[in-house]
Amino acid sequence: MTQRVLDVAALTEGTADSRSLIWWGNLAMLAIEGTMFAMAMATYLYLRSTNLDWPPSTVPKPDLLMPTINTVMLLLSCIPAFIIDRASITKNMLPIRICQALSIAVGLLFLYIQYAVMVPSLGYKWSSHAYGSVVWVIIGMHTLHMVAATGETALLFLYSLFKPVLKKHLLDFRCTAVYWYFVALVWVPFYFIIFIEPWMQRKGS
Amino acid sequence: MTELAVLPPDFAKEAAIMEKTWASKPGVIGWLSETGHKQIGLRYIVTAFLFFLAGGIEAALMRIQLLKPENHFLGPDAYNQIFTMHGSTMMFLFAVPIMEGFGVYLVPLMLGTHNVAFPKLNAFGYYIYLFGGLFLYTMFLLHAAPQAGWFSYVPLAGPQYSPGKGVDTWAQMITFTEVSGLVVAVELVVTTFKQRCPGMSLNRIPLFVWSMIVVSFMIIFAMPAVMIASGYLSLDRLVGTHLYNRSEGGDPLLYQHMFWFFGHPEVYIIFIPGLGFVSSILTAFTGRKIYGYTAMVSTLVVTAFLGFSVWVHHMFATGLPQLGESFFTAASLMIVLPTGVQIFCWIATIWSGRFRIATPVMYVIGFFLVFIVGGLTGVMLASIPIDWQVHDTYFVVAHFHYVLIGGALFPLFGAFHFWFPKWTGRMYSEVMGQISFWLLLIGFNVTFFPMHVLGLYGMPRRVYTYQPGMRWGNLNVLASAGAVFMALSVLTMIINFLVSRRAGRVAGANPWNADTLEWSLPSPPPVYNYLHVPTVSGLNAVWDAAPDQPYVTGMRFDRREILITRVLDAEPDHTEQLPGHSPWPFVLSCTMCIGLWGAIFFAWWFTIGAVLSGIALIGWFWPSDRELEDHILREKGELGGLELGMPEPVREEMP
Repeated sequence: MTQRVLDVAALTEGTADSRSLIWWGNLAMLAIEGTMFAMAMATYLYLRSTNLDWPPSTVPKPDLLMPTINTVMLLLSCIPAFIIDRASITKNMLPIRICQALSIAVGLLFLYIQYAVMVPSLGYKWSSHAYGSVVWVIIGMHTLHMVAATGETALLFLYSLFKPVLKKHLLDFRCTAVYWYFVALVWVPFYFIIFIEPWMQRKGS
Repeated sequence: MTELAVLPPDFAKEAAIMEKTWASKPGVIGWLSETGHKQIGLRYIVTAFLFFLAGGIEAALMRIQLLKPENHFLGPDAYNQIFTMHGSTMMFLFAVPIMEGFGVYLVPLMLGTHNVAFPKLNAFGYYIYLFGGLFLYTMFLLHAAPQAGWFSYVPLAGPQYSPGKGVDTWAQMITFTEVSGLVVAVELVVTTFKQRCPGMSLNRIPLFVWSMIVVSFMIIFAMPAVMIASGYLSLDRLVGTHLYNRSEGGDPLLYQHMFWFFGHPEVYIIFIPGLGFVSSILTAFTGRKIYGYTAMVSTLVVTAFLGFSVWVHHMFATGLPQLGESFFTAASLMIVLPTGVQIFCWIATIWSGRFRIATPVMYVIGFFLVFIVGGLTGVMLASIPIDWQVHDTYFVVAHFHYVLIGGALFPLFGAFHFWFPKWTGRMYSEVMGQISFWLLLIGFNVTFFPMHVLGLYGMPRRVYTYQPGMRWGNLNVLASAGAVFMALSVLTMIINFLVSRRAGRVAGANPWNADTLEWSLPSPPPVYNYLHVPTVSGLNAVWDAAPDQPYVTGMRFDRREILITRVLDAEPDHTEQLPGHSPWPFVLSCTMCIGLWGAIFFAWWFTIGAVLSGIALIGWFWPSDRELEDHILREKGELGGLELGMPEPVREEMP
């Protein structure tokens, strides 16, 4: 008896692009995390709608200089992420290494500015009032993501210095770059509500 | 690439190699390192079933307490704990995980692949679920159970009115089970879109798999809401935030909104897999293709979308603006449309097929009867005046038990009987199966139908006892008597399965003459599932297969290699290697326990747990030298020019 077969021996093993499993897994994770941030935003807007005094009149107008510099720096860090992404296609290791080092530096600097400069200047704590609670929750959530993105980049950077870089690692570089875009862009609306909104006319005043 | 070839000579040799490649490791550490989807899926199912028994015992205790007025079998505190544990167990530890377990077990089999997309993540999801459940029950036994109901509304569940650690335990259990649910959802989405066997285009995916895709997407967008809601609750209780504290600008209603934004989709997350079971069972027992496949798939999707726009109907009694309430009434009424389409499609399938009767299909008929009653009371409750009248009464209790037991438990028990031969290789006893069905159908209706009347008479839910003059006594006796029948039904089923597992008639590969791919495998399926990845040429893979239906060759037997296909038409695209055993998922779930359990008692444990989890994650991803060498060997010679464009499509000729 004859049997028809579908021979797939000629197919490549693994890809470093949007056809691979990890790429899809990464996108699904971003959908989950994105929903979480959307919920945090919804919390802010909901509490804003149920409070007459928002932000509370005790909240000082925040200093804009450092948070703005920090946010712009975070946005600009998408450029090295983009270069990592592109250079991974051709496995051009030099720009990958430089941009990874740059990303790690930006990540650490961003976290330092957030916690050494920006947070102490807020003038309220999570336990001061609901406004303080929601702002701290947002900052905390974003910090966790920033730590994760920086840590992941650092781990891949160290790994690629000591171990051979294979196709699957190039895929990891690209997925980390996508994650970096997410972490950078998701901060922008929160920058506006935390730092710009208190400068606009207060609700109820 | 299709070629005519003589049947390869030595299947046994290939099978032996595959057996070795995919085998489980022996010993406790091997058990904890397991990543096979059938093993993990069965663990989900067994664990969830044990929690179901625990939840059932709690229900029985409540029925004993309510047997007569002014009963003192359980005190008010104990009663509060018991109903909270019952609801939390059934929703979070039984209903969702058992459906996920079925998905994890069946989806790769139905798609013709070897394992789920992320096997280590799959194992992690199981442990995190198990630990969440064990934690809740440990605290329960230590007299620190939550007492604020399965949805733990604030301010009752807030720091002021629920001192102690009970609600904190509940909130962490939520985090654990939702992480597990999200993990399974991601896997099933990716597995279904990327790992279908050649020929299984989107319009040939079995309806059960479609139901799991729809549920997975609902999980991805619904479960983050409850994680955030319960996270805020923990923060309010543990570190003094004011998110739900009205006096500091917070809002208790915020909790209700976020909880029900998850909570209503949750109901569909529980019963949509049930719809998938019904379609699978009916296809097999009518011997025909399901009527209206496209309508069935699109109504599943429509139900999912509508499910996200009805959450406020749980909150009609909170005094929201009337315009908003009207919108949610309309959306809630609209749900009957897709569900109605599905039910008529099933009726048409039964009508035009060669209908056979056996236990699984009897449970499906039970589903029709019970679920439709529950649906109708749901339509009544969508109307605000009625909702206000019966809010927080036993009418609501009756309604959601009809929906959940009718929509999920009946199809689930049908699925147990339907796939029992596939899991164990043996048939259950048909007589015992039918006895358990009738006991459940009668017992269920005797228990829950009187609750409609009790609700209309004004009996409130969640109150530990009632006065003799209320005339609620007789109906409560009836309800408690029905519960005895339900317990006997479950007992019969367990005995049936335990006995038949060893002594049942040998089932063979396809005892029901069913249509999906898992029935083409021996029962129970080999550890690697398919020796050769199959191909399909129709919606009903087994029935539509040609005598010489092609199978896939050219894949490695000595590696855990899987075939990745394109999203729409499932043409072969590339291959990937799946990871094998790993202890790290278990280790990571332990470190997460340290962080999340510890945080209840002392906030810094969270940081300690996070650092330990980071270390565990590095261990998880760090490849061993052996793996690395293997990778290098396989990649040798092709790193210079990575193919990032689409390769030439593989031509296949299907009959």
